Amino acid sequence: MLKASPTSRRSALAAALFGLVVLGGVDSPVSAQTAGAPIRIGSTLALTGPLSATAQIHRIVGEIYVEQLNKRGGLLGRQVEWIVKDDQSKADLARTLYEQLVTADKVDLLIGPYATGAILSAMGVAQRYNKVLVHHTLGIPSLAKYDMQFPAWSLGADPATTVPNTIFDALAAGPKPPKTVAVVTNKFPSIQFMTAGAREVMKKRGLTEVLFLEWDFGNRDFGPIANRIKDAKPDFVWVGAIGLDGNLLLDAMKKLDYVPPQHFYLYPAPGPLVSLPEAKNALSVTIFEDQLPFTSAPGAAEFVKIYRERATKAGLADPSVETQAAASYTAWQILEAGVVATKSLDDKAIATWLKANKVDTLQGKLRFDGLGNFGDDLMRVKQVQNGHWVVVWPKEVTSGGAKLLAP
Amino acid sequence: MSAFTLPSASLLSQSVLSGIFVGALYGLMGLGLSLNWGLLRLINLAHFAFAFLAAYLCYELASRGLDPLLALAAIVPLFFAIGAGLQGLVARFAITPFNSLLLTFGLTGIVEALIQSIWTADFRKLESSYAQQKFKVGTLFVPVPELITLVLAVAISAAVWAVLRYTDLGRALRGAAEDAPIAAAFGVNQKANALLLAGTCAALASIAGVCLALSFTLAPSQIYAWIGVVFAAVMLGGLGRALGPLVAGTLIGVSEAVTMAVTAPSWAPMVSFTLLIAVLVLRPGKSA
Amino acid sequence: MKRTPIAIVGAGVALAGLPLLGLPPFYDSLLYLMLHWIVLATSWNILSGYTGYFSFGHGAFFGAGLYTTSTLLARFDWPFLWTLPVAALVAAVLGVALGAIVFRVKGVRGELFALLTLAVTFVIGTIVGNTPLDGGQGVSLSAVPVPPIGPKASATFYLLALAAATSTLMIAWGVAASRFGAGLFAIHDDEDAAEVMGVPTYRYKLMALAISCALAGAAGGIHALFLSYVTVGEVFTIAVPLTVVLMSVLGGTRHWAGPAVGAIAITGLLYSFTAADHAIAGKAATGAILIAAILFMPDGILPRLQRVLGRRRTRLPSAAPAQPTASALPTAAEAVVAAPGDASARDRRGATVRVGAVLLQVRGLDKRFKGIHALSAVDVDVRRGEILGLLGPNGSGKSTFINVVSGHYAATAGEIRFEGRTLTGEPAHRIAAAGIARTYQIPRPFAQFSVVDNVALAAMFGGAVADPAAARREAMTWLEFTGLAGRAEARPDALNLHQRKFLELARALASRPRLVLLDEVLCGLTPSETDAAVALIRRIRDQGATIVFVEHVMRAVMALSDRIVVFDHGLLLAEGAASEVMKRPHVMTAYLGTAAVAGARP
Repeated sequence: MLKASPTSRRSALAAALFGLVVLGGVDSPVSAQTAGAPIRIGSTLALTGPLSATAQIHRIVGEIYVEQLNKRGGLLGRQVEWIVKDDQSKADLARTLYEQLVTADKVDLLIGPYATGAILSAMGVAQRYNKVLVHHTLGIPSLAKYDMQFPAWSLGADPATTVPNTIFDALAAGPKPPKTVAVVTNKFPSIQFMTAGAREVMKKRGLTEVLFLEWDFGNRDFGPIANRIKDAKPDFVWVGAIGLDGNLLLDAMKKLDYVPPQHFYLYPAPGPLVSLPEAKNALSVTIFEDQLPFTSAPGAAEFVKIYRERATKAGLADPSVETQAAASYTAWQILEAGVVATKSLDDKAIATWLKANKVDTLQGKLRFDGLGNFGDDLMRVKQVQNGHWVVVWPKEVTSGGAKLLAP
Repeated sequence: MSAFTLPSASLLSQSVLSGIFVGALYGLMGLGLSLNWGLLRLINLAHFAFAFLAAYLCYELASRGLDPLLALAAIVPLFFAIGAGLQGLVARFAITPFNSLLLTFGLTGIVEALIQSIWTADFRKLESSYAQQKFKVGTLFVPVPELITLVLAVAISAAVWAVLRYTDLGRALRGAAEDAPIAAAFGVNQKANALLLAGTCAALASIAGVCLALSFTLAPSQIYAWIGVVFAAVMLGGLGRALGPLVAGTLIGVSEAVTMAVTAPSWAPMVSFTLLIAVLVLRPGKSA
Repeated sequence: MKRTPIAIVGAGVALAGLPLLGLPPFYDSLLYLMLHWIVLATSWNILSGYTGYFSFGHGAFFGAGLYTTSTLLARFDWPFLWTLPVAALVAAVLGVALGAIVFRVKGVRGELFALLTLAVTFVIGTIVGNTPLDGGQGVSLSAVPVPPIGPKASATFYLLALAAATSTLMIAWGVAASRFGAGLFAIHDDEDAAEVMGVPTYRYKLMALAISCALAGAAGGIHALFLSYVTVGEVFTIAVPLTVVLMSVLGGTRHWAGPAVGAIAITGLLYSFTAADHAIAGKAATGAILIAAILFMPDGILPRLQRVLGRRRTRLPSAAPAQPTASALPTAAEAVVAAPGDASARDRRGATVRVGAVLLQVRGLDKRFKGIHALSAVDVDVRRGEILGLLGPNGSGKSTFINVVSGHYAATAGEIRFEGRTLTGEPAHRIAAAGIARTYQIPRPFAQFSVVDNVALAAMFGGAVADPAAARREAMTWLEFTGLAGRAEARPDALNLHQRKFLELARALASRPRLVLLDEVLCGLTPSETDAAVALIRRIRDQGATIVFVEHVMRAVMALSDRIVVFDHGLLLAEGAASEVMKRPHVMTAYLGTAAVAGARP
């Protein structure tokens, strides 16, 4: 009205030009797929943003794997090129970038991004274009409804039941089986459902729940929570932690002069937790640790060594291989196995073969014929002992007489 | 389990104390932001980036053996210079408050990238001797790092309040904030004052950063985790008022902590922010 | 048909053909994101950019729409497209409920409004996260089929977002070009003055909020299916509102297309740096570009583009006035001849203008401010056609009287009747519509409006001229009447005090009031300017308006007023013909103090 709008067309045009100029920075090459040309495998990772602390691990692993692969002669006699983009920890960006990888960059194969949200986005894209998707960090198996997706993280199809059972088996076989449990958890989706499963398992096993608390992702003040745990006097504390929650909670408990008799942290940031003095005897779960018998898997010892070098060079605080790095490596192994066995880059053929066969990986022989293509639950229990993670359960994967300790 | 549990007296009082501590940090972080916004008409998102940069520097110095509190001696002047420099740059251009939001957002991105390129995205925790120490007052535990934060927050807020109220400089700053041309006509040297004030705000951010490093684990993306609640404390406390962020921050911190003590902690943000809304609607303009 | 909406629709239709071009579907998704942010930023701007009520709560309304759609899809198996209007409705209802409470509270403006809306975001997020709406698990929509609107799923989302963006831009333009939009811009510049000019501020703010929220809700609904897995943590944070603020400020908040430009720029910027090798450097580069952009384009990209492309703001085509813009001040005679309309048309109810009948009746008017008793039981009658002077020493309540009668303040007690209607307690905009106008002692023009637009606003709201183009024509005639026609397109800050006072007068007159309240119009004017003003005031009365004016300049009072009333400390001290009242002892005492008077006595 009073502000007249005369320049609509011109300014719209100018704006569009401006936008297109900027868009021109987006790479959209289409390279000819001739024999001898490299095989291109595409993915995104959260290289910036809140998820970048863990995603950087996956980047290092991917680089190591592709290097080693190319040294061995590549895939199908061709070199392999990994095209990775930064999804900035945003699921909607991940989706769009995967779409770019498939339809514009026309990569041959895909590999999954970091974390559940991005994986689900990528899965949608893979489904639309019938690409096989091997991923390494999906925390909620029931959401993986696509036929041609394959998990490298061996959670099993029903981790909410099987993983807590593993933990409580370990505790029951330990020196002080707990009777009362305090359950505290983050409400982050992949954590919350595991905790819900744990509560069911506890009920079935006749344990008493003396406290149940949930907090929001991003909570800063753990004082009152720590205090309520202390007041509840549990034998065992189940902490549905992701990232730093575990550290913050332990800090808060220390400030109250409280040490839980036995405690468990679901998905902590491994490095910071193990170096915290208050984390003595803390339990967690893992599919791989830098110790026997895990390092006796074929290729494991070498991988662990190279990873340690690269991670230290990159400035990472904790340069040892554990669940994240191992799952990442496994994903690449699975993809390679599928390509080699079918002698092709055909997604359907690879998916069909994977469903029917077992793959030799860092975690052992993996199968994909369960619900949602999940196989066995291979999560083991580990414990912080003398400032190191030591696998303590089940017995077959412990070494050197390692046992679950309880004060 | 029942939705509400009656807390024991010790739980309640410890929780209130916990809320006061975290509220003090909100207040300390918000002080510089509030002064910047209220007196210089600059909404400085980069305030958080400065705080974290200072926190990381403190971490770096501490891991080389320097006591974190002594590190303040090096960090504070550095950030004073950075803040004054930023103001000097900004003063050349005509920046409205909401333009400054954009400007400082861009600056925050740059600082975050800088932090990530030097220290990686890994979580970093400062291990200091203070972290181990605590006092016991009756049944209450008073950890030293949090106590330091509280003492610094109260002392600095009070000092700033006194300067604004009782000194000529303070009056000049407040006058210029209300009506710049008139203040200039009365001989207020706004350029110099603005540089001084901007430098001080950045210095305050750096002190908050050191306190942050003492009590919390650091990651580059954490910069954004504090924006919401500290903005709330700043706006509730009244822009440009020295004691505002501290009181408002404490209100927010305590209400959240008490909620966490009596019911499911995931409801805490709702309680604190509903309280905020109620205060605003029922007594607008009346800051705590 | 206006050019702009045709251009918008045309662009929309043209872009709809994009999926058919056979480009890789990736572009559909990328453009979807751009269009999605265009909707969010433009819708935010309709409230916050236009009215100045910067909201940090856009995430709450976006999230409300997102979760409405998610719940309807996942739990109740609704068809996707039907969930979108519901999502928009839920978001709008939420916004209006919030606004109904918040806009009533006078003090909540500026940053307090921003804080309140931010707090609402966290509250709603917590509620959604703790109830079965989400409960922490997130809502998975992977089983929901995407309606086959386009050749592929990505094309469908692109087309939906394109439709949403086209509609949003049309609405944003339409609002900006309408009387409603003028009111919003006026609220931005000076809400209280706008209310007094007749803008129904409360209602308008609610309408703008409702529109803004509805559009955000619809965008949320579409986005839910795009993501196919929604979690609370992604939606109810400060990220969405901060992003839309940045986009709008970058593009320019005053223009309807500004936020769209900003959205395209920032989305494009984010996409330019996705190659892994430059991820961190890219973040720094993005920051640097934003800094450079705002330093060199402080009003936003769009205004700068407009200037660079050499187009200045022009008028709407139909408003181009036939009269040449006069450069010389018209003489008094010309002005009388050019006076718009004739006397009998002035009075809308058709009654002939007669001096003598009581127009405004004030009884027992009382106004307290927390301890200051500004007006005490004031009784005043104002007769049609007269010029009534309000006198009194400083602080006696004269300006307060004008403020209360015009509705700027609410009376504490007493009654005001105008043309037989009771106006006590009415909001200021209704009082303006009833036929009362006022000027401010310190002129309060709308700073971002041109001179003619300032006056046109008053014509539209106080004078109920519906069409913006007609209002401008009306405004031009009033500018000629007051001699400001030569400065019609200037901004108020380019005028000197004398001209600004006359602008106040023109504004007051444009609503064709029957009663004009002038608050110290002559203060600060030179003697010759004072004479011009006095002549103008007489001309105003000659056209049939009744005038009540507050004044200190004695010779003007003597020259102009038929009657005067004298205030002192909130009380009505005296009333009558000017020359006679000024001689009364207690009046002199009130002005000069006791000692001087005592000294005059033998």
